[in-house]
Amino acid sequence: MNHRHLLPDEIDLLLDDEVGFGVTPLRAHVRECARCSALVDEARVAVDALEAVPHFAPSHLFSDRVMAGVPVFVPWHVAARDAAERWLPQARRTRYIVAGLATSVASLVTLAILWVATQTDALVLATGAAGGELRSVAMDAGQRALAAILGEQAFRLVQGAGPLGIAVALGILVLATAGSVAGFRALALASSRRRA
Amino acid sequence: MPPALDLQNLPDADVVALAQNGRDGAFRELIRRYERPVFSLIYRMVRDRELSEDLAQDTFIKVLNHLDRYRPEFKLSSWLFKIANNVAIDHLRRRQLETVSIDGSPHAITTDAIEATSFDIVGGQESALDELEARELGTSIERAIAGLRPEYRSCIMLRHVEGRSYEEIAATLDLPLGTVKTYIHRARHELRRSLEHLRESG
Repeated sequence: MNHRHLLPDEIDLLLDDEVGFGVTPLRAHVRECARCSALVDEARVAVDALEAVPHFAPSHLFSDRVMAGVPVFVPWHVAARDAAERWLPQARRTRYIVAGLATSVASLVTLAILWVATQTDALVLATGAAGGELRSVAMDAGQRALAAILGEQAFRLVQGAGPLGIAVALGILVLATAGSVAGFRALALASSRRRA
Repeated sequence: MPPALDLQNLPDADVVALAQNGRDGAFRELIRRYERPVFSLIYRMVRDRELSEDLAQDTFIKVLNHLDRYRPEFKLSSWLFKIANNVAIDHLRRRQLETVSIDGSPHAITTDAIEATSFDIVGGQESALDELEARELGTSIERAIAGLRPEYRSCIMLRHVEGRSYEEIAATLDLPLGTVKTYIHRARHELRRSLEHLRESG
């Protein structure tokens, strides 16, 4: 090593601050050889100047111009999470309180639904009984109305025919009522045309 | 609106993940981090401020529109520099101002062998433009950088301004490791000569 000067590749190794067994004799030679030391120093001036060059800055609108060419797409799961987070408070303590209240309300609602489900039989029975009561009330009202319109004798005749007879009688009554209304309307119209 | 994040202290991979989730601020943070290095690299290649902004803008748009291809095991900055170098070199080729060099025999593996088997053609137009642009840039080292060939320029900039290793530069510029070392060696040699010449003439 001491009998020759550094090769260009060896100067590069020193400029790159390489470490290792191969570099140690090079450093030793540079310490002893004025010519090689000067070459390394000259090369290092250029490298130091390079490492000191500044970064240039683009215009202040550069970022906006780039973003104008970049369509920003929000995935659906991120949008859903953002929408949910908008409803949540920012502070952690408040979030814990809200979570506790929500859990309590959810638990109460769940218990209420379960209780209702266990009471299903009683509900069905009550509904059936109420339905039967309603039917008998409606039948009584219908019979009293028929008796009032047709008279007791005619009503007893219809009643003897059973529920079918009562339904037929009610149907005839509705038709007669509708016919009467239509007839009176026609008379009224005819009368108004004569007057006109 | 999601809570504000401290993006400045997050590593690139995390900021990219936020950008992939549609965070506008994450995109802007990536631009903020690398706009100066990318713009500087391109500016020192093409030496035109307005053009450099356009090319840097194209670089960022290309990368940010394809963030789905990003892999965390690789550096985002390397990807940006790769695209930046490609757009700058493409522009220079279209402008036909770069010097043409044929880099020696494919069988040459040492620096001396490459130098012995290569030849260079220097475009006359480049020296006048170099001089004009270098005056604008102002310092001796900028003038010296402007005098380098584009392929040397990008390698030496990535090595000494961006602090990349030889392996990273080879991966970024899609060059063999030996070629990168050769380019950097030649660039250092030319810079040394230019600075010496400037010192003597100045």
